[in-house]
Amino acid sequence: MNAGSVPQFDPTYGGDMFDSVEDVQQRFKSARYIAGRRIATVVYLAERMGRPVLIEGPAGVGKTELAKTLADIASRPLIRLQCYEGLDEGKALYEWKYAKQLLYTQLLKERIGELIADAPSLPDAVARIAGQDDAFFSYRFLSPRPLLSAIQSEAPVVLLIDEIDKAEPEFEAFLLEVLSDFQVSVPELGTVKARHVPLVVLTSNNARELSDGLKRRCLHLFIDFPAPAEELEIIRLKVPEIPEKLARAVVAAVQKIRGLELRKPPSVSESLDWARSLVILNAKQLDAALVESTLTMLVKYEKDLERVKGALDKVLAESS
Amino acid sequence: MDERILEFIGDLRRAELRISPSEALDALAASAEIGLSDRETFKSSLAATLVKESRDLETFDRLFNLYFMDLEALGEGLKKALGPEDPRVQDMLDTMMDEDGLELDDLTELLMRGQGSEMEMAIRAGGQNAGLERLMYFLQVGYFSRKISDRFDWSMIERDIEKIMKMLEAKGLDPGQLARIRNYLELRLEAFNRMIRQHVERELERRAYRQGEKLTREVLSDKPLFALTPDEVAQMKSVVARLARKIKDALALRQRQEERGRLDTRRTIRKSLQYGGVPMEVFLKRRHRDKPKLITICDVSDSVRNASRFMLQLVWSLQECFSHVRSFVFVSEIAEVTQAFNNYPVERAIEWALKAAPVDYHCRSDFGYAFSRFANAELESLDRKTTVMILGDARNNYNDPQAWALRMIRERVRGIIWLNPEGQWGWGIGDSVMPLYTPSCDIVKECRTVGQLVQVVDQLVHSWWRRGR
Repeated sequence: MNAGSVPQFDPTYGGDMFDSVEDVQQRFKSARYIAGRRIATVVYLAERMGRPVLIEGPAGVGKTELAKTLADIASRPLIRLQCYEGLDEGKALYEWKYAKQLLYTQLLKERIGELIADAPSLPDAVARIAGQDDAFFSYRFLSPRPLLSAIQSEAPVVLLIDEIDKAEPEFEAFLLEVLSDFQVSVPELGTVKARHVPLVVLTSNNARELSDGLKRRCLHLFIDFPAPAEELEIIRLKVPEIPEKLARAVVAAVQKIRGLELRKPPSVSESLDWARSLVILNAKQLDAALVESTLTMLVKYEKDLERVKGALDKVLAESS
Repeated sequence: MDERILEFIGDLRRAELRISPSEALDALAASAEIGLSDRETFKSSLAATLVKESRDLETFDRLFNLYFMDLEALGEGLKKALGPEDPRVQDMLDTMMDEDGLELDDLTELLMRGQGSEMEMAIRAGGQNAGLERLMYFLQVGYFSRKISDRFDWSMIERDIEKIMKMLEAKGLDPGQLARIRNYLELRLEAFNRMIRQHVERELERRAYRQGEKLTREVLSDKPLFALTPDEVAQMKSVVARLARKIKDALALRQRQEERGRLDTRRTIRKSLQYGGVPMEVFLKRRHRDKPKLITICDVSDSVRNASRFMLQLVWSLQECFSHVRSFVFVSEIAEVTQAFNNYPVERAIEWALKAAPVDYHCRSDFGYAFSRFANAELESLDRKTTVMILGDARNNYNDPQAWALRMIRERVRGIIWLNPEGQWGWGIGDSVMPLYTPSCDIVKECRTVGQLVQVVDQLVHSWWRRGR
């Protein structure tokens, strides 16, 4: 690798995108994301220290959204790698465009014929072709997948590795290598080093335990369901047309429902959906009939539904 | 500050958080970035770098509050303790010192005028060499409080207070006022001593946090299962959960190391046909291991119930290591309880299996009957990927052992593993029919304690299922 052409980066050096933790909070808020002090601190540190952030927490509390918002306020492109069972290096890093390579060799058959036409011996012909093989293993025939594009990118990016817990532990080990030095080796081409340290955000729903190594490498952020005040703020921000009284009632009811030991408690995104649908229905306040008819926005399992319906009095009585 | 953070990390490690040196360095770097001006932010920065499991957050919070005290709140508390008269007397002292040339000893001045935070700093400095690292029991609190208190030079205090009172008298205050002021000064003296004691108590709590728990756990791990009290059972649940996680982690690591294969010629050649016989894509032989199926059969009669409980918990926590887990319980009638595990969280399912499954819990164990029923009903569903794990003491109450049933089961499956919660010396004595069943089993192990149980399951997961069984 030609060291001159690639600016070296020092992995211990981070960026200076934010002035302070308050600055992070401010800018997230103007991008319509309510970041609590803890979230803001971790984002600030990640950016300063050039460290990946591992976000854990129940589904729908805004883990993915955080990465998107971060890309937004940093005005960096977001590269997303969605993990799933069976994801392997080929799909995450790079693949050769075999068909294209093959097509080119077919098209260039004659040229190749010419090239070796006057070769005196077989070893000579092989040597000549060997002299050209770089032509077929060049970036032209390489199709970069999310990880390689994040590393190759000219401009700094935000790399979101979503639901890492869905991928196999083996993939995690491979990812760890990439995340620790931000370089990747493509055997035919050599090592590709990152020009910029990407801001990396990993999310996990805790479907399985992640390896210690990965956790060690990352800053850890646990996002739980928001406190009532915070949730109220989120609803006000995202559904500005909602009447104040209704918003409070919604938050109180949702917080109660979360306490009911459901199979899947309603997340922030679901309470937002609910608030929106209540606004569309032009509701002024919550009553039993209204809640019952719109409950499916909030609770997704049959058993949970029954449970909430059974406890409706409690949910509403205390919330009004 | 770095030293204090490192000391704090030591506390966390004592409370069984795993923190690597690189994470400790991260914490130092992070706190340097953040600074100390805001307590919450500082706390978040330590949490982000040091705590990587959400279940450890609670321990972290607690220890953080013990170690990095909220000095502002402390000052407020002091003010409250001293009552409403505070500002006036304080002002008076201030003017006396500034204008009337009152000279006081350093300590007196600290006690009479200092803020809560300043006092705390002084106490902490005093405690530096007081040998607090030997502090381990509550009985030592008084001793160490005195020891710290002795580090301050109290000789001038009395004289200084008299000096203050005289000066106030000279100013023409009436006796009632004077008494109140004297009272106030003494209150502050007392408050300082109380603060010393609190400091020592906090130190104790910080050092001892979770130590007791650790000790009980070690003791309980070696206590025979049948002798565990309900309280102890509850404590051991979390221990078993932790150990299950450990086994799982180790397993994931090994799978990773094993899956490097050699060239898979068949697939490579087949794929090369697409490219006119050129092996464009190379396939490696992945040692593909089918996850094993597991059937557990647990005796749930009174004598071995605890053992069954922990085994069920362990097996269901390790679920991901198997493609399919089914569980049966029996006393004499046998019933499948898999459904409960699919519907309820593990804890609740186990309670259900041990108390409410459709078997008669009050009859005497009859292994023979249970096995023959199982063989009749389930033989068809067994296959060579299945391992049967039986937990029971094989005390058959002189019923027909029906060892043929177990032999029949053995012929259909990969293997039978028998875990016996009774000491090996008892097997075959009295109504124990263990020797009759042993020939049908591939592995027979004693597991009388949680420690043994975990060890056995760990071994099984690593060696028995290792060769793709």
